[in-house]
Amino acid sequence: MAQVLVVDDSATVRNEVGDFLKKNGLDVVTAVDGRDGLDKLKADARIKLVVSDVNMPNMDGLTMAEKIRGELRNSTVNIIMLTTENTPIMKERGKAAGIKGWIVKPFKGDAVIATFKKLAEA
Amino acid sequence: MQEAAQLVSKVLVLNDDAEVRGHIKAFCEAHNLIPVKPQAGAALSVLKSNVDLGAIFLQESYLGEGGNALELARAIHAIRPELPIFLRRDTQSHLDDLPDVYRGVFTAAYTIATIDELGPTIAKSIFSFQFPNALVRGITEITKATLENQFKDVEVRTEAPYMVRDQLIYGELFTLIPLESTWCRGYMMFQTEEAPLMEYVANGRTHIMRDPANFRDINHVMGEVTNLIWGAFKNRFISDEPVDWRQSQVPLIVNHQHRYISFGSEDPQLCLRYTVLDPFGKVTPLVIYQRFVFNLSWAPEKFKENEVLTDNLFESGELELF
Repeated sequence: MAQVLVVDDSATVRNEVGDFLKKNGLDVVTAVDGRDGLDKLKADARIKLVVSDVNMPNMDGLTMAEKIRGELRNSTVNIIMLTTENTPIMKERGKAAGIKGWIVKPFKGDAVIATFKKLAEA
Repeated sequence: MQEAAQLVSKVLVLNDDAEVRGHIKAFCEAHNLIPVKPQAGAALSVLKSNVDLGAIFLQESYLGEGGNALELARAIHAIRPELPIFLRRDTQSHLDDLPDVYRGVFTAAYTIATIDELGPTIAKSIFSFQFPNALVRGITEITKATLENQFKDVEVRTEAPYMVRDQLIYGELFTLIPLESTWCRGYMMFQTEEAPLMEYVANGRTHIMRDPANFRDINHVMGEVTNLIWGAFKNRFISDEPVDWRQSQVPLIVNHQHRYISFGSEDPQLCLRYTVLDPFGKVTPLVIYQRFVFNLSWAPEKFKENEVLTDNLFESGELELF
């Protein structure tokens, strides 16, 4: 089964998003920050979709996305940002890092689950 | 500046004379103050409690709390030094004849005949900060929506925003996050009690469910509430204009013994009180205080709401594909 990596320093968000995706048939792994996210992605080739916060300690989500495309040379995993940030500057940086999409919190699973499934199974 | 929000503030009235209290009440109504009268002998316990106050009106011949109003004023000043105390005297509306040891604890004196002269002093000491109406309304909308999202099947009630001068910590849990923009620099703070929040987690009414809940669970809940409101605040009220990060900072001081937090300034703070209610009555109501402390910079004349760009019409929670 395709794996989704949920990266957020908030346990509330990891629980909320992770539980919702599991209930909808997706396999979920979680990471607490960008550095942890990179480690999880390196360790699990089944991860097809990363859903990540931006503002996190140790390594932020946009830096993690840049490293996924750069250091890890992984151009196939789909990356979605789930964040409170909503500025054009942030989004432009995300686009340059090759992320697929942007969601401003709070998370509304029903609005995105169909697309998440497509991206996770692509 | 845009239209200012009409804010209120609670004041503690220590006065034995019902007729005089009537005059004070009328003055309060005219100056956006809400008078609070303690039970007999309970003035100091009110001051040690969680009642947010803007000032104290004390009668010089007040008989409560031992019958020595000047000594009571000293005791109050020791407990809550940030609160202005206004002394009602029978004939003199000045403090000149008081011994130095007492004179310093009062902000001003008045008689019933001169009470209206306190107006400018009240405005200066409690309402010196004007908050744009759009800001206060926006904060309330953002916070209410976030609480309704983070707590399941609840009703969120808000009270009229008010100003406080005290620097008390309410409850056991508080979160703090900086706000930095061209028009404000300071902090947003949330304060709440642990026990009812634990109940909400244990009853599956948050996105974390654990029974029994532990303190880390409730930390996560309030952490995410703070994060979401901070993000929405930034998106709505803070522009992309660069902030000079070389600007000054001051240390924050927390004294747990006295449940006191200092931001290095005694300026009044904007306070909003929310109650999260379970309509089924199974979970204890949760009271959350939200404070805005713009201790480093405050320029409301530069405040403006961000315009929603026509090519950026995605609602919160919707996926914007690139």
